[in-house]
Amino acid sequence: MWALRTLSGGLGMGLLFFYIGIGLTAVLRNWFGYPEVWDRDFNVTIGYVFGLLGWVMGMGMWGSWGREWFGLRTHSYYIRGWQRYFTWSTDHKVIGVQYLATFTIVFLLAGLMAMLMRLELATSGLQFFDKSQYNTILGLHGILMIAVAVAAVVGGFGNYFVPLLIGADDMAFPRLNALSFWLIPPVALMLLITPFMGGLEVGWTAYPPLSVQTQTAQGFWNLAIVTFGLSSILSGLNFVVTIIYMRAPGMTWSRLPMFVWSMFVTAWLALFYTQGFAVALLMVTLDRIAGMGFFNADDGGDPLLYQHVFWFYSHPAVYIMILPGLGIALEIIGHFSGKPLFAYRYAVGAFLGILGLSGVVWAHHMFTSGIPNYLHGPFLVMTELISIPTGLIFLSALGTIWMGKLRLTAPMLFALAVIFNFANGGVTGIFLADVPTDIHLQDTYFVVAHFHYTIVGGEIFAMFAAMYYWFPKMTGRMYNMKLAKLHFWWMFIGFNVTFMTMYWPGIQGMNRRIADFPAAMDGINFFISLASFGLGAGFLVFVGNMVYALFWGPAAEANPWGARTLEWQTSSPPPLENFDEPPMVTGHPYDYGLPDAPAHARFGPGLPAGTPAGGGGGGGG
Amino acid sequence: MAKHVVSVVLLWAALTAVGEALVFADLFPTVGSHEAEDFDQIFRVLLFMGIPVFNFVVAMLVHSFLRFRAGGPQEGGATFKGTGAIPKVWLLLTSCLAVTTIIYPGLTGLRKLQSEANGYGWADTKGTLIIHVQAFQWGWQYDYQEYDGEKLAVSVFSLHGDGNELVLPLEVGARFEINSTGAAYDFATEEPSSGVLHSFWIPAFRMKIDAIPGRTTTMTVKPTELGDYGRDPAYRVQCAELCGLSHTTMDTPVRVVSQEEFKTWLAEQAKATKK
Amino acid sequence: MAVAATAAAHAHGHAHNRLQLNRVGLWLFFFSESIVFGLLLTSRFFLMGVDREHVDQQLGLIITIILLLSSVTAFTAETAIEQDRRRLASWMLLATILLGVIFTVGVGFEWSIAEFNRKEVFGTVFFTMTGIHATHVVTGVIMLFLVWVQLKRGKFSSRDHFAVSGTVMYWHFVDVVWVFYYPALYLIGNVVTPGQ
Repeated sequence: MWALRTLSGGLGMGLLFFYIGIGLTAVLRNWFGYPEVWDRDFNVTIGYVFGLLGWVMGMGMWGSWGREWFGLRTHSYYIRGWQRYFTWSTDHKVIGVQYLATFTIVFLLAGLMAMLMRLELATSGLQFFDKSQYNTILGLHGILMIAVAVAAVVGGFGNYFVPLLIGADDMAFPRLNALSFWLIPPVALMLLITPFMGGLEVGWTAYPPLSVQTQTAQGFWNLAIVTFGLSSILSGLNFVVTIIYMRAPGMTWSRLPMFVWSMFVTAWLALFYTQGFAVALLMVTLDRIAGMGFFNADDGGDPLLYQHVFWFYSHPAVYIMILPGLGIALEIIGHFSGKPLFAYRYAVGAFLGILGLSGVVWAHHMFTSGIPNYLHGPFLVMTELISIPTGLIFLSALGTIWMGKLRLTAPMLFALAVIFNFANGGVTGIFLADVPTDIHLQDTYFVVAHFHYTIVGGEIFAMFAAMYYWFPKMTGRMYNMKLAKLHFWWMFIGFNVTFMTMYWPGIQGMNRRIADFPAAMDGINFFISLASFGLGAGFLVFVGNMVYALFWGPAAEANPWGARTLEWQTSSPPPLENFDEPPMVTGHPYDYGLPDAPAHARFGPGLPAGTPAGGGGGGGG
Repeated sequence: MAKHVVSVVLLWAALTAVGEALVFADLFPTVGSHEAEDFDQIFRVLLFMGIPVFNFVVAMLVHSFLRFRAGGPQEGGATFKGTGAIPKVWLLLTSCLAVTTIIYPGLTGLRKLQSEANGYGWADTKGTLIIHVQAFQWGWQYDYQEYDGEKLAVSVFSLHGDGNELVLPLEVGARFEINSTGAAYDFATEEPSSGVLHSFWIPAFRMKIDAIPGRTTTMTVKPTELGDYGRDPAYRVQCAELCGLSHTTMDTPVRVVSQEEFKTWLAEQAKATKK
Repeated sequence: MAVAATAAAHAHGHAHNRLQLNRVGLWLFFFSESIVFGLLLTSRFFLMGVDREHVDQQLGLIITIILLLSSVTAFTAETAIEQDRRRLASWMLLATILLGVIFTVGVGFEWSIAEFNRKEVFGTVFFTMTGIHATHVVTGVIMLFLVWVQLKRGKFSSRDHFAVSGTVMYWHFVDVVWVFYYPALYLIGNVVTPGQ
């Protein structure tokens, strides 16, 4: 019972360290002469830091890593069967599945919360929840979905498929990878107990001074998000090193699959910007537990500081969410169009351009926040310039399907829907980047509709595209294609009806994050609620299809789609070392329909003459 | 190839023609102020520019979906890689479009917003009616300071549902000086808390600006249409920044009256305040 | 069900240069950490402009010199182990640890004599910035100690000493951060007294 042994080790050590931390804090407070040794927020915060360390150590970090720091022998185990998903596994495929399973559950849970919100919003007045419950559901829906958007594709598909796509046998730092994942369960735990600690009041943005003043639950929330940020930074670091140094021989930068390119850019963003969220919440935490005055205007602090630091991360964060989505869309469109990917280099340039611009646009979230006049112009210009690199991604997608031989499977349908939805979200984004229109539209349902079009329409659709595309590779089984297509049309129509309509109450003056609204908007809100229930019900098709296929689906071939990239050239699911023989990349991944194009890769020892070196000059597999 | 291009262009033109009808549709709440006219104008310009762009993507997707599917009625077999002139032309076109949007209506609109005498949000222009707005959890207090150079001592304290209104005269520039205070009473802890962020927003005027503890923000509007909350929900002050438990009900009715009526109202209020 | 195996089982054919990967990973980690320090530094100027309150200049200068000296000893330790001079390396590591501890004590003493409290804005930025930095110093001291213990057990040689050089790199990084923090907190700008 390895799973039980590992989990109980983690939980036991976590609890033990948590109590040690609390006790130590009390002792130190006594020593430094504080009148009270127990301050709930303070002691629990320090206890949490200890508990987190105990948890990851107990889960297996001690055995496989920590002993090394003390000069002791480390040991690692390879567990077969389902139990490996509950242990400290350093296999990137196991970690990918761990991420995916965790965040699929979180996604469905947060989706359920959206349904509860629409239930309350079906008519004006308060029917089902009180204000506090509504605010809590609102905040949890927000932050859980942000977590899904940040980590499901990056952590799940990124971990599973980046090493496969570049012909590596694992990530560069497998133990760091395991640590990144096992930091997630405490995050989920801390977030899910907030409703029982007084609830959340401040939404996912947690603006102070309110977030400094509210209940203990907010303190838990802060700790959870800082932990999540740490996990995100570590996995970003891992991806950067992996993609630079672990590429197989011949896998030059100009042969890198689009998904890997998008993950490369995303990893830099995560590595560079996530600190903003962590630092912002560190300041809130210090204000809360140590009585400091970052945001206390009475003593010279400034609430606007938080917004600058917070959006310094949180705008690039939307690219952390959307770029892997666009990468998946281009990847899948590239494989299902029967002709070469259009303007590959321009699409790569687009990703790099977005990487460059993403850090200098954050204040467009603050046009109505009272920032000085002179900041509006530059941020308007920078923000609208981002439309240029984004346009190149559309060029690549549309150029690829033009005159192609499209195979309209479920993954392809979802990938095409990403392009449709993101075009909508992109065009409406201009209204929000433009200061004069943003003044009215800021904090209305127009914004809600816009970011659901980009994040759900862009990334979550891409997540389902990837799910249907790579499911046979991950599980070795095939799902029912008819049901998958049914799920697509259901979700596509339900999504568009729900959110296209939502622009209108926004323009009409319905602000977001409210449980109640003027009765004049009853009709449109009732319609949106009905549409959203329809959208929600569609996921039952997905869950049913996947669960059935997982246990009883027919066995999948190694390469059911006839795709050229490396992950399809090995068995389904891949063996522990990914490839039986070391791969050598000999051609471009998207050269479909070209009769004399060389194969993307061949296997076996010995480099053919003239093969360019891959990452770091090191041999692969 | 040529017939596909023709058919996409036709599809695009048709979709755009239908879509552009939105520009003429009345999407907006009541146009209550001079600034609202500008907002609606800029919104329409952006809509006019955005719809063809969106519909180009839609036309390409729909046409490809119908005509280029494998095993369907298609010519296929194309192998171009997009390394020629097309990406360059595309880059040039999208750049031109982006720069155009930045200049008009972006920067030109911003210039108007920040310099015109009737004043958008942040411009330090003088309205002739000056009102101090204090936002608190969860309501508003309006202290009328000055009207046409005369000092006023009228104050309106408004919570959700108590019917106390923000009253404004027609065609007079009203300058709001907005602050956030900690006047609220926290029922859970029974301790008064210090101020948090709010946002002062009147949908009929299309204007909003945050209320920040420790800073004063300003916003100037000139109402151009009589109206009141009872008949039109766009005439309300609505908090637009999540500010805790009762954020959802942090609203106040607004009434725009003629200048004579406003003077009468001021006199009545002054009397009531003295008592 | 469970198959116990050695670490080598999964490390199949790792021909990659492990040392190179570790180094790059470490540099990326510093790069990432510098954003944290940079944001706090920016916040200090955002909140206070170039104003600051009175701090003990002599103490500040002394702890700065001590920390800079510790970088020299750390560097010497690394060079020594590269030349297999274990005895020198061991002493230099010990000296670095000692200097690090003195620095931390100095910061603690500065905290105890500070003329401002943590509620007002200079106190907030001063305690946060020095606190976060001191946390890194303490972490570095612990890491140096662990490395020293292993050195005493004869673990490192001129060919295998990444733990030493990694820790020393980290120590230099923490030192460089202080090179930016010291002027921002002690030297720059006008001294103001709150309430005036």
